[in-house]
Amino acid sequence: MTVLCPHGHQSETTDYCDQCGALIVAGSPGGGTTQVLPALEEADTSPAVRREPCPACGAPRSGDDRYCEGCGHDFLGPPPAVAGWEAIVTADRAQFDRLAVSGVSFPAGYPERRFALADGENRIGRSRGQPDENAPEIDLARPPADPGISRLHAVLERRSDGIYALRDLGSTNGTMVNDDPAPIAPQTAVPLADGDRVHVGAWTTITVRKR
Amino acid sequence: MSTFTTECDQNEYLPLGGSEVNAIVTVTSDGAAGETSQPEAAEIVIIDTSGSMGAPRRKLEAARKATSVAIDCIRDDVAFGLIAGTEVAQAVYPTDGTLVPASAQTRADAKIALRRLKAEGGTAIGSWLTLAGTLFATVPGRSCHAILLTDGENQHETDDHLDGVLSELEGRFQCDCRGVGTDWKVSELRRIASGLLGSVDIIAKPEDMAGDFRTLMETAMGKATGNVSLRLWAPQGASIAFVRQVAPTIEELTDRAVQVNDLTADYPTATWGRESRDYHVCINVQPRDAGEEMLAGRISLVEGEETRARALVKAIWTDDQRLSTQINRGVAHYTGQAELADCIQEGIDARRDGDLATATFKLGRAVQLAAESGNDGTMKLLQGVVEVDDAATGTVRLRQNVAAVDEMSLDTRSTITVRVGPGAT
Repeated sequence: MTVLCPHGHQSETTDYCDQCGALIVAGSPGGGTTQVLPALEEADTSPAVRREPCPACGAPRSGDDRYCEGCGHDFLGPPPAVAGWEAIVTADRAQFDRLAVSGVSFPAGYPERRFALADGENRIGRSRGQPDENAPEIDLARPPADPGISRLHAVLERRSDGIYALRDLGSTNGTMVNDDPAPIAPQTAVPLADGDRVHVGAWTTITVRKR
Repeated sequence: MSTFTTECDQNEYLPLGGSEVNAIVTVTSDGAAGETSQPEAAEIVIIDTSGSMGAPRRKLEAARKATSVAIDCIRDDVAFGLIAGTEVAQAVYPTDGTLVPASAQTRADAKIALRRLKAEGGTAIGSWLTLAGTLFATVPGRSCHAILLTDGENQHETDDHLDGVLSELEGRFQCDCRGVGTDWKVSELRRIASGLLGSVDIIAKPEDMAGDFRTLMETAMGKATGNVSLRLWAPQGASIAFVRQVAPTIEELTDRAVQVNDLTADYPTATWGRESRDYHVCINVQPRDAGEEMLAGRISLVEGEETRARALVKAIWTDDQRLSTQINRGVAHYTGQAELADCIQEGIDARRDGDLATATFKLGRAVQLAAESGNDGTMKLLQGVVEVDDAATGTVRLRQNVAAVDEMSLDTRSTITVRVGPGAT
């Protein structure tokens, strides 16, 4: 659950922006109302977009309303997460010991990170720090950062049958699945089952599972 | 589990173009701990048994007695041990390289070990601390505290070695340091105490040792909360000018920052009993337009990953000079207390180097600041070193013959501050 600050940051705190500290006006979801986002202007001028169905519940969008009348989905926000799938990122001691990469130390503390998987592409990588418009959806840049993860490492794509497939995007150090020590072939989709573990970098394990 | 509360005292109004945000954050812990929630503790008393401790004889005798009093204050089941320090460190109780749970039997055994201590050998404080670290490592997960007693300078180790030991041990245990007599070096013990988040003080007379050790151990036993950090978030583009504990003593924390992420850092505050501490936080932010309000800092007290209390440091830009020019009383007061401590240390150093003009100027300024802020304790100590002609203007004369104990007391206690307001203690 995030709100939009007057400067356009997604903030997890709702009183002041957790990026820039700007005051977020209470009582108006999405915070700052002063900023007109370009997407809104597009919605105004294009009749084709006006009746677009809500990506979350399918109800038709009424005019240029920002929020869906059916479910309250924010048309300007990120695409809705697909119910039930998430990626859980942990620092994996066993994996670290198996790889034994010299010159890299295992992080002393690593809070577990969870990413709800969106319908479509979920890129795994490291952004160049904020703000980065091209930050991957599963952005592992925040410290302690695993140095073995490429900027654009791999992608989790939802197929039409609802299953997520993993594709390595030509990363430097490769991507491994479960207990197989051999990396998967680059640019080749590997379908994942509930609970499969994706290993990237020197110690990062991403568990993909149904919620 | 104890409860933390925070109060933030600041003038949040900044002039247009202003970027420096100051705030005094008061953190109070009620120290309430049920018998069950009190953290598992470990205690080590490190006693200097170098040759000088035997002269006069009553010094080692007093150290024995004081340690014995401290042992009696240790709660049942707290893991404890004793270290005797010379040019090497020796675990005198227990002797098997571990710590033992306190009980009537183990306390009695420890006191027997105390009686066997002899004063002979040199001083290598780093090795004593290293041994304490090794012993504490045998009881992981406990909140660890040590008392270090010495009467001399670190002779058998280089400064670099000691610095290495301190950075290795930082955060592993807390260490209160006490110097007995006047042959030890204030700067050295302060470095150790500061690096290990403890206090430093002088025990002028050996017979005062027992009372002091009792207080130290009772305080340690009263700690209800383990390792607590002050977590500070500052927005993108902001920089932390400094984070400083300003009451009850001045302690620079700026360099102790442990980065949590790009915008957040933790500053260690060690253990808390029933007490209250003030912190001065200074953040530089990027100026914004008139009427804009932003958060300059989000402060939280975290124990492990659990947040125990929060405070907000704000900034509002205004063209109303009546608002923006008001200097917050707390900020002004503690800025003065920090200058007071600096003046004393610089004054004493100058006096030692024979630069009497600088010494007179610095100690005079210290007298003025102590008088203005009502810091009577520091004022009394200053009077042992200078004769005060006029406190209001800081006119003083250096005393010709200053007892070493007076100068060292002033030096060690220069960082003790008073709180804002008349009659404050």
